[in-house]
Amino acid sequence: MNGVFAKPWSAVKRSPSFKEIVQALWKANPVSKQILGICSALAVTVQLQTAIVMGAALTLVVAFSNLIVSLLRAGIPRNIRIIVQVAVIATLVIIADEFLKAFMYDVSKQLSVFVGLIITNCIVLGRTEAYAMNNPPLRSFVDGLANGLGYASVLVGVAFLRELLGSGRLFGYAVVPEVLYQAGYVNNGLLVLAPGAFIMIGLFVWLEHSLLEKK
Amino acid sequence: MSGSLRSIAYAAVLCIICSLLLTAASSGLQPFQERNVLLDRRRNILAAAGLIQEERRLSAADIEALYTRHIRPLRVDPLGRVLPAAEGAGSALPFYLVVQEENRPEGYIVPIDAKGLWGPINAYLAFGSDGATVKGFTVYRHAETPGLGGEIEKKWFRDNWVGKKIVTRQGKFVSVGVAKGRVDEMVPPDKREHYVDGISGATLTGKYLAAGIRDTLNQYEPVAVKFRKNLAHELEGALAPR
Repeated sequence: MNGVFAKPWSAVKRSPSFKEIVQALWKANPVSKQILGICSALAVTVQLQTAIVMGAALTLVVAFSNLIVSLLRAGIPRNIRIIVQVAVIATLVIIADEFLKAFMYDVSKQLSVFVGLIITNCIVLGRTEAYAMNNPPLRSFVDGLANGLGYASVLVGVAFLRELLGSGRLFGYAVVPEVLYQAGYVNNGLLVLAPGAFIMIGLFVWLEHSLLEKK
Repeated sequence: MSGSLRSIAYAAVLCIICSLLLTAASSGLQPFQERNVLLDRRRNILAAAGLIQEERRLSAADIEALYTRHIRPLRVDPLGRVLPAAEGAGSALPFYLVVQEENRPEGYIVPIDAKGLWGPINAYLAFGSDGATVKGFTVYRHAETPGLGGEIEKKWFRDNWVGKKIVTRQGKFVSVGVAKGRVDEMVPPDKREHYVDGISGATLTGKYLAAGIRDTLNQYEPVAVKFRKNLAHELEGALAPR
């Protein structure tokens, strides 16, 4: 019984899905390794909340567009496959946007055009074209989830540092104690601005590359 | 040939399925979205009037309570006479009185419709009881580029408006303009109270916004004049049966 569900860790590590997940989350992270999706990563990382919602929206869009494209892949005519993929992605993005407007209006206002711009995010089309067109539905779905989470992980990391160091808050709540401000601590205003995001993402890219090189 | 026919048929079927899904999502979620939009407008009206602090997150019920206590929606005709709720739909000018206890007006809020660079800009401009001093400014809808024209909804730009005057000391209506750059560098000292700091990279947004505000306020001058002449109680009379 146990043998079916709990494979030994080493076997899990050898399975192709696991390798692909690690690939997406770390070794070929869409943002910090492939430098994709930078535009939205710069724009929505001033606050943790927007970054998390954006990461979740993108993750869902990549996962489900991968799933749908993979299900359709045998029938899609080769000559219009990109159009079909973009149509699937665009539909999912607009549905996600409608849901945000209905249930998370404040966040949706802050994200403004960037939810809509998921349609043009290279990560999504990249995964459907390179992966979902050639792989079975379930694995495509997992690949989409992993890539979305890879994107979200960098966004959340950047947003955490930007909100903490830039405005002394996390999720909008003040976390830097008042005593520190009285002792002369000042929030770093640069991190709230776009250059701060560039620098942070640059540091993430550097960190990841240097950690990967050591292996 | 049959190959391209198949492609066209495939694309057509896909389009129909996608549009059905989008229509379903959009019409199914519309009631929720409309409620959010209404609440967001009320929040903006309250923020323009300075009745809520930006940092605090209020629940929907709190906003409703504050709104019903302090805000009185009214409509006037172009001469400044208060209209009953059902009359004069075409030329009626809607605005909001800000009242404290006992319905005493202590200011008013004008809804601004301006042309933006990419789409309409909708905002609220609140005035004090003198009918001349801006008390607050909020933007609740726009389609300007984030980081450039989109800065109009940011706190620094909104705070910029507080204390500006729409009339000169001689009593002439001049509205409030958006300077090209910083007010204290670009505008002569005697005109500084009629200008706000502009947004670099968004000159046109500022220009259109200022033009929209001037046109709107021009229409609302009869209301402003009532406040300037201390005749606000004329408006207040319309409030009693609420």
